[in-house]
Amino acid sequence: MWRYIWPAFGEQFRTVLFDHVGAGRSDLSAYDAQKYSTLHAYADDIVAIGRELEFNDAVFVGHSVSAMMGVLASVKAPGMFGALILVGPSARYIDDGDYRGGFSRKDIDELLDSLADNHMGWSAAMAPVIMGNPDRPELGEELTNSFCRTDPAIAKAFARVTFMSDNRDDLSKVTARTLILQCSDDIIAAENVGQYVHQNIPGSNYKLLEATGHCPNLSAPHEVIAAMNDFLDAR
Amino acid sequence: MIFSMRGNDPNDLVPPNEDFEDLYENAPCGYLSMLPNGRIFKVNRTYLAWTGYSHDEIIGRPLRDFLPVAGKMFYETHFAPLLRIQGFYNEVALDIVTARGSRIPMLANALQRMDGSGQLLFTRLTLFPAADRRRFERGLVDAQAASNDKIKTLEADSELREQFVAVLGHDLRNPLASISGGIRMLERDAAGKDEQVLKLMQGSVTRMSALIDDVMDFARSRLGGGIGVELKPTDVLEAVLEQVVAELRTAEPDWVLTVSVGRLGTVICDAARIGQMVSNLLGNALVHGSKTQPVRLLASTKGGALEIEVVNAGEAIPSDQLERLFKPFIRGESSGAREGLGLGLFIASEIAKAHGATLVATSTPEETRFKFSMRVDPVGG
Repeated sequence: MWRYIWPAFGEQFRTVLFDHVGAGRSDLSAYDAQKYSTLHAYADDIVAIGRELEFNDAVFVGHSVSAMMGVLASVKAPGMFGALILVGPSARYIDDGDYRGGFSRKDIDELLDSLADNHMGWSAAMAPVIMGNPDRPELGEELTNSFCRTDPAIAKAFARVTFMSDNRDDLSKVTARTLILQCSDDIIAAENVGQYVHQNIPGSNYKLLEATGHCPNLSAPHEVIAAMNDFLDAR
Repeated sequence: MIFSMRGNDPNDLVPPNEDFEDLYENAPCGYLSMLPNGRIFKVNRTYLAWTGYSHDEIIGRPLRDFLPVAGKMFYETHFAPLLRIQGFYNEVALDIVTARGSRIPMLANALQRMDGSGQLLFTRLTLFPAADRRRFERGLVDAQAASNDKIKTLEADSELREQFVAVLGHDLRNPLASISGGIRMLERDAAGKDEQVLKLMQGSVTRMSALIDDVMDFARSRLGGGIGVELKPTDVLEAVLEQVVAELRTAEPDWVLTVSVGRLGTVICDAARIGQMVSNLLGNALVHGSKTQPVRLLASTKGGALEIEVVNAGEAIPSDQLERLFKPFIRGESSGAREGLGLGLFIASEIAKAHGATLVATSTPEETRFKFSMRVDPVGG
């Protein structure tokens, strides 16, 4: 997710990249559906990483649902993060009264089913390959679609946790300097959703990118890097 | 072979209309090409025919517009990012919404086309209808979910049953203990026929109590995964074996049992459990062995191993039965009234397992032999 972004900050900052438990190259055996049934468990992990590496006044950069995990982590551990950069954040995906998250419950249920459609090729035997096998390059071909080839049960649980989350009440507790990077034409986190986050995090900055879609860190890395630099230089 | 008669030039084999443009327009798959911003700029006739749109209704719009809401979300959160990272995406399952509002399940492959400097020029998408496949796959997913649910229910039922057995066994012990106490009180003043009857009753109480122990051990081993043993250095093993033999001799005075127990020294084991195992093995020999020839109990520590053997004469056990001997609730063909639940040998083998030892049965027309072997580290003494 950050492959095109982090090298731009590698010299100026100590950069820490991590996979959330249950994803990527994390230890899948550490995943517990009960424990990770809310975003708070993921936020606790971020705080644990910060404590271990003795973060003080660090900058947290998170995309999509990870942005909201960073919001929670910064509230849990005041002082650990001096600044938050939230790329495509949403405090709630499902419509609620006057609030427009962009989705209905039915949409979410349908998404969870369609995830299963795209996990047919997954088997437990794939797991070690996905975990990375640098000494067996011949397995490289097997890595096709590996990004999505997480354990289907975990992927589904994670999608449920993500899309059911509601962190609207946590936004006002943020004290860190915050930048919201909003994409144009993003159906996952539409402009009004990003605006909502901006209006509810005190003193936050909001930047509308020309990049379209939900992943500007992949589709428009230069624009993202420039916006991040502007924000970081301004402090 | 008609074509080949006209000459060897392969072009002669090509019928009219089979050119690249026709291959694109009327291919047996749908083709879409998208700009870096996701908007479609090219589409073939096959795709238009399948989806019912006109050319102008598709050009200039993003593919996402033709996906249901869930598909849009999948597209943005999985498909687009992965395509960007690896430059292609194979076998993605997408539902395409047609002009009439129905959905066609499709499988798509996507490939990005770059310029010399690695800049994305456009993305090509090939789509195949996959309705039957999707139905089959969803059926598989449903079937797996149903079977997982069933397994969970069965496991819960089975655990409940075993808990019930464990509780029942425990509750049976108290009334049995008071019967036993009553018999002992009566025995003090009993004489003649009364004394004999009370002795038989006491024997029955002992047997019943052993059966309850077996049932409870079985239920516990199923619930907790194996029989619990407490391994510690002990030098009372000889005394425990003597005790087991004495109890059986009291219960079965007519039975000929020859015992050869050497000096066993200090051994790390659960002495009470070993005693239970030997009792079960002797009980088995008593029921199934020859009634006229002696049963032998041999125990020794030699060559770094504790070996305990129970040998009886009688009919050989067929080899197919021998394999199943240590499974629970297995009883011999010659089932008689004396037999228990068929748990004795199962528990004996579980006790051996818990000691990291082996319990092996061999049977010939001459003798049937159960041999327990456990490696012992020299502890001294």
